[in-house]
Amino acid sequence: MSFQTLKALEAFLENPTEELSGADVHKRSGIASGTLYPILLRLESAGWFVSRWETIDPVSAGRPRRRLYRLTRNGLARASDVFASFGRGVSA
Amino acid sequence: MNPDEVLSEPRAARSSREGRGWVEGVILSLIRYAARQAPPSLSARLEEEWLADLTARQGTIARLRFAFGCCWATRVIALELATAVGAAAGLSAGKTAALFAGAGPSILSRRTTVFVLIGALHTLVILALASGITREVLQAIPPIQVVSVPKAPERVEPPPPPAPTLEQFRPVVPLTPWTGEAPAGAISVPTVEGPPPTVSATPRQVIRVAGGPGPGFPNTEDYYPEASRRLEEKGLTTVSVCVDGAGRLAADPVVARSSGSVRLDAAAVRLAKAASGHYRPTTEDGRPVSSCYPFGVRFTLK
Repeated sequence: MSFQTLKALEAFLENPTEELSGADVHKRSGIASGTLYPILLRLESAGWFVSRWETIDPVSAGRPRRRLYRLTRNGLARASDVFASFGRGVSA
Repeated sequence: MNPDEVLSEPRAARSSREGRGWVEGVILSLIRYAARQAPPSLSARLEEEWLADLTARQGTIARLRFAFGCCWATRVIALELATAVGAAAGLSAGKTAALFAGAGPSILSRRTTVFVLIGALHTLVILALASGITREVLQAIPPIQVVSVPKAPERVEPPPPPAPTLEQFRPVVPLTPWTGEAPAGAISVPTVEGPPPTVSATPRQVIRVAGGPGPGFPNTEDYYPEASRRLEEKGLTTVSVCVDGAGRLAADPVVARSSGSVRLDAAAVRLAKAASGHYRPTTEDGRPVSSCYPFGVRFTLK
């Protein structure tokens, strides 16, 4: 797992139940778009994330709807394992 | 939702950005192009998603970076998906990526594209310089002004002052030539001239009469030492006295010229002291003035 992927996961683990758009992940992790969106799609294909369109009225909101990503239960567990393994590695 | 509809919905916010110029148009075109190059199943989704996330980027540079990032993301996504599908179908990654690219295999390789882009950029720069920008740049540069700085004049040493000549030291006030003539009957005793006469601009003859022994002056015989009489000492002692206008001594008299006998010289000084008040003062134009003058005291045996 690449360092950029870990940073993206870390952005979601701040609040695992929170849904984040690609712009939100960029703000939290600083990952460039060329790297971020492949990561999001890769993790979604792997079942770590689920995504949906934001349910807003673009006209009243004054902006287009965004694609929101959220950790799945499986993704949260595996991401927690990844970071926990890093923690064990450090503590050992 | 159709991506075109998405673009038209937030028109109020987007129109201001699009109005910034052709850069915004390039950004949108890049994102749309990148989305079209993605696998067909993801093309519409990615275009809408990226255009929506573009609104969160502030600043032209950040938006440009986002658009170029989307182009790169498309290639990565296509490659990963092709790898996964090709692995299942037994095809090579390049062929499957071309299949998922939507537009089919590109006639230009990546390296060729980069060379073409670099050449295009150089062409643009050359054309810009050859057209209006060159003239503007040349007009912006101030013309070179040749300023001729005059050669500094050689330092000329001032000529040395001319050698002093005797003519320059001539007195400004001409001295009155001394005639050597003394007033008649003025000298009764040897006299010494007083302070040198001052040179005046208007020379004037001053009648000066030197002083000397006056009425009641002591007698020399009264001061002849007895020892000198026995030793038959005799001689002339010259005594210098300073006398004021009233005929009194202004200072102690001194021996100006000795007689050869200490006793006779001392007797002459005692006589000069005793004669204070009996001297005849020197006069200038008839007015008594203070002066110093010698007079002789002669001791003779009878």
